[in-house]
Amino acid sequence: MADLFSVTQIPGMGTNEIPAPPLERDEKSRINYGVADPLFDIDTLPLTYTNSRWNAFAYECDEKLLKAIIPDCLTLEDDVVEFWYVDHDHTRLGPYGEMGITVACSYNGVKFGYYPYMYLTQDSAVDGGRALGFPKKMAFIRTLEHGGKWDDGYEASGRDYFSFMMSRNGYVIHSATGKYSGNQLSDLSRVPTFYGKTDWGRGNMKIVTDGDLAKTRWQLTHLPSEWEGKHRFQIKPETVMTAQPEDINWFFQATPFDNCGNTMPAKKLLGLVSYNFDLIIPPAEILWSQTITRTPEEIAKYCLYETPYKFGMRQKFSKPQGV
Amino acid sequence: MGSFVQNTIVPNDGSLVEQPLKRDPRSIVCQGLADPVFDIDILPLTYVNSRWFAFFVRVDEKILKKLVPEPLTLEDDVVEFWYVDHTNTGAGPYFEMGVTVAASYNGKKGGYYPYMYLSQDTAIYGGRDPFGFPKKAAYFSILEHGDKGGYKNNGYEPINQKRFFSFMMERRGYLLHTATGEYTSNDLADLSVKPKFYGEKDWGRWNMRLITEPDFSKTTYNLTYLDSEWQGKHRFQIKPHSVDVARAQDIRTWALQATPFDNLGALCPVSELLGLVSYNFDLIIPAATIEWTKEVTRTPEEVAKFCTFGEGYKYSMRHKFPKPAGI
Repeated sequence: MADLFSVTQIPGMGTNEIPAPPLERDEKSRINYGVADPLFDIDTLPLTYTNSRWNAFAYECDEKLLKAIIPDCLTLEDDVVEFWYVDHDHTRLGPYGEMGITVACSYNGVKFGYYPYMYLTQDSAVDGGRALGFPKKMAFIRTLEHGGKWDDGYEASGRDYFSFMMSRNGYVIHSATGKYSGNQLSDLSRVPTFYGKTDWGRGNMKIVTDGDLAKTRWQLTHLPSEWEGKHRFQIKPETVMTAQPEDINWFFQATPFDNCGNTMPAKKLLGLVSYNFDLIIPPAEILWSQTITRTPEEIAKYCLYETPYKFGMRQKFSKPQGV
Repeated sequence: MGSFVQNTIVPNDGSLVEQPLKRDPRSIVCQGLADPVFDIDILPLTYVNSRWFAFFVRVDEKILKKLVPEPLTLEDDVVEFWYVDHTNTGAGPYFEMGVTVAASYNGKKGGYYPYMYLSQDTAIYGGRDPFGFPKKAAYFSILEHGDKGGYKNNGYEPINQKRFFSFMMERRGYLLHTATGEYTSNDLADLSVKPKFYGEKDWGRWNMRLITEPDFSKTTYNLTYLDSEWQGKHRFQIKPHSVDVARAQDIRTWALQATPFDNLGALCPVSELLGLVSYNFDLIIPAATIEWTKEVTRTPEEVAKFCTFGEGYKYSMRHKFPKPAGI
């Protein structure tokens, strides 16, 4: 018989750094599952980010295409979209890489950046966002800035050149490389309409389906741009770097698993702006909701799409080792 | 302009499902609307020829009771601690690990899952939404190899060697679990003790789903149940010829540890190792039923009091780990 190597003491438990397991706490403090050991817990809240690095490509996209990927209740406000990567080191969800697309929209006079696509490199951050309606998936993401000077290993290294890459289920979805040439946002000929505006929040469409598939609830969630009198997103102006379209090499493709290369191709690349920032994400408000119900016949017709025990190309990809 | 290449055509052999926003809203089951993490092409969720590895372990009843939420009643102190290697599923291929505890509610019996880990996101969310499986992501290795006679495969013939086994799961820089050993039998009867639900057709599966409103004003609990049978057949079909067994004395090493990110080693410590059974199987996961619900509401003051732990812009050991490159 094997000797049992068992470490039952949770490192850090009993200090003020780790919350007690949810089932040992007041039920009002349980917000996520598994109820024994949730994917994210109250120690993510308030959800803050310190000194993350944002890399935002701006491009023009066909308005007709953009209208097709936003829900009916939203109004499209701009044909310039933000296609961004983020490198997070210090967050209440831990460190992670992220990619997303932001489209300027409005609902009933409320203006916000709407997220049709988002990808992240770890699970707590995916789930912590999905709870607010962010459409997060997982992917393999690389963000790199380097070059431009020799350093001694202690001082900050150079960052004249950049390389970004994201792949999922065996396909590269996007890659861009290039060189920075400026450090003012005004270097770019055009930016998304919400850039620099304090009255534009962020919006998501949360979809929650019951376990019996009989009902799906849609909630348009809104994060106002300000929180307790301050803008939630604080840029560090001294960290801004920009690249012009002629300095960017751009690769973008649709895959059987991810359709953004099909639905939102760049018509005209406008440039890249990168900067460091701090951020807080508070609870969201709900601007609009609807409930879709299904009879048993409708569940069979609309939700049980596939032939059981048969698998198509969407079900075949290299087996992930996990993360 | 630098080099610019875009390919907007989605590779499609005719088996792809149309994008959600172009379909009837009744067919939309998951966010994001433009491109969900799982879609209706995984439903009904089926599995063909997956390989299951089930350690049977004993855990102190008093400890187990703390893992099982209301309104469930604990039914056994023998727990199934399992890995799975999935190659053919509606959610794509992946690795999986979980713990199943025998529990009942209102006359219905089932295995309840307090812990689950998987290696990819579609399978995580196909389980979390809408059924309530408590899935997280982790890094896995699952291995069976070796032959009793020192047989060597030539690289062309099928490999069917599985004398030794090794399992490993890591998350955020900590090893959560590993076990190694050797199979010595093909008969489940060689294991003297099994979890109560093993081989029983009237035991389904339980999950507890929590849905919190975006403003944190309310959390809804749903206890979901997957009946053991579907359309008159058991949902889980074992391939008897594929059974391999290791008795407790054949399990060479076993390590299970609690970490700052995962409390499995603390809340489910093993007091006795009873053996391992491995087998291939087919499975179907249909829609669940909701057997019990409860709502917990919060005032704005209660949101601030109960849902915030620590200061904003300050980070603890739970927020520091090697940055994952993703999957």
